[in-house]
Amino acid sequence: MSFLEQIGQTVVVGVEDAGALTIQFWSVVRKLPKILPLAGTGRHWRSVVHQMLAIGASALPMSGAMALCTGFILALQSASELRRFGALQFVVDLVAIGFTRELGPLITALSVSGRSASAISAEIGTMVVTEEVDALRVMGLDPVEFTLAPKYLAALITFPCLTILSTLCGIFAGYLFLAFSMDMSIHIYFQAVVEAILLRDVAFMLIKSLVFATIIVQVGCLEGLRVRGGPEAVGHSTTAAVVKSTFLVILADLLATAIFYLFGWSSVK
Amino acid sequence: MSYGTRRVLDGVDLDVYRGEVLVLLGGSGSGKTTLLKQVLGLAKPEAGSITINGVDITSCSQRELGAVRRRIGVAFQGGALFNSMSVADNVALPLRELTGLADSTIKLTVWMKLMAVGLSDAGALYPQELSGGMKKRAAVARAMALDPEILVFDEPSAGLDPIVSAGLDELILFLKRSFGMTILVVTHDLKSAFHIADRVAMLYRGRLIAADSKEKFAGNAHPRIRQFLDSRPDAPPGVAAEEFIATYLRGPKDDH
Repeated sequence: MSFLEQIGQTVVVGVEDAGALTIQFWSVVRKLPKILPLAGTGRHWRSVVHQMLAIGASALPMSGAMALCTGFILALQSASELRRFGALQFVVDLVAIGFTRELGPLITALSVSGRSASAISAEIGTMVVTEEVDALRVMGLDPVEFTLAPKYLAALITFPCLTILSTLCGIFAGYLFLAFSMDMSIHIYFQAVVEAILLRDVAFMLIKSLVFATIIVQVGCLEGLRVRGGPEAVGHSTTAAVVKSTFLVILADLLATAIFYLFGWSSVK
Repeated sequence: MSYGTRRVLDGVDLDVYRGEVLVLLGGSGSGKTTLLKQVLGLAKPEAGSITINGVDITSCSQRELGAVRRRIGVAFQGGALFNSMSVADNVALPLRELTGLADSTIKLTVWMKLMAVGLSDAGALYPQELSGGMKKRAAVARAMALDPEILVFDEPSAGLDPIVSAGLDELILFLKRSFGMTILVVTHDLKSAFHIADRVAMLYRGRLIAADSKEKFAGNAHPRIRQFLDSRPDAPPGVAAEEFIATYLRGPKDDH
């Protein structure tokens, strides 16, 4: 296959993936009202809670640890440069804004993508291979309502929580560095953080977390449903789920950040 | 029905009569699984129709298809039990999701279905704790949960020892006699087929080559049927030495 043909094939596959993701996303969203505990039938709520523990609670140690490390690194690196300009006080702003707008949602998404996208695609892929998805269909049950929608609802609930906690961990790590290097008190640091962060930064962080949750769960589900064959195919699907969801998360982050700056939301109040 | 350029099913015209056990035979790649998927509405034929209880499932609405599916119980080859649920919960699933029965009624129904398949003590077990035969029987119990009119078995004896397989055959006959179910069995196990069948149909390379009573089928002179019944392979074993050496020295052909 020539180079141009390879590019063409990649584009065609990308468009097919985008179309399949869109159709699947819409199918899942239509089923969400049915699985809410009060508004819907409530039959799948136990499954949603189980997924919240799997996707959210069990990811907290990893994303928290990553945020702590990244926060400390960011504070250290920025301090070493800002010191030359006598602007060490701006380390607080850099860590707080950087984590709220960017690193909090991104680190959470990358840590969960590696865990949950692969786990979701493996679980659903195994269900396809063992004919459990077919069994749901022939029983007259909708696999989207039964399997996909609870995962998505769980992600929509837990991702913003995880993101907030990761962001706080990253910001706290910045305090740890400044406490060691400058003997800064927690009160001064906290006040500086509050002054640096705008409400729209927090809103942007939460919107990003929802977008990343959508990408990770939908890609994981799609790759799982595409499995054809045996256990080897399940392995391929988990790899594809992690790679694709990671790439799409970063691409979405780029687009969101560009929009944020294009609309001038980054200017101070 | 084709996968790419490979025609998997071609002009299959088959009737299944109420209350009978129809066994569908065929070798690997004959199209049995594809036909089964089409009957269950999991795949759509490129042409033709599939009518179940007067409803053409190839052109009906999703609601009508759902209503038809609730009258069909399916026991998949590997059981297709949900590993996150116990056996009892697996059997209860269609009752919980598709009926408005009270929990106590569902519990009683589940116990009755498990008792019918000899698994009354296995309700609390999970699928990974079951033997192959127990998985198949649990799958049958789940297939019977909504008291279907039609039962479909996909390779029921696959992976089972002869004793367990015979037990499953007796279960199928029991279901037919006790509940008057229409039963479609897809298999390549000849002994089982002739034990349980009222009629036997056979697919060969996507075409239906016979659909008769088991007595007529056993006497059918079609060469492929005779080959299948006699368990004769396609080509004689062994390789001509000269041909092998010539091919080996020549090397693999260049396809480009």
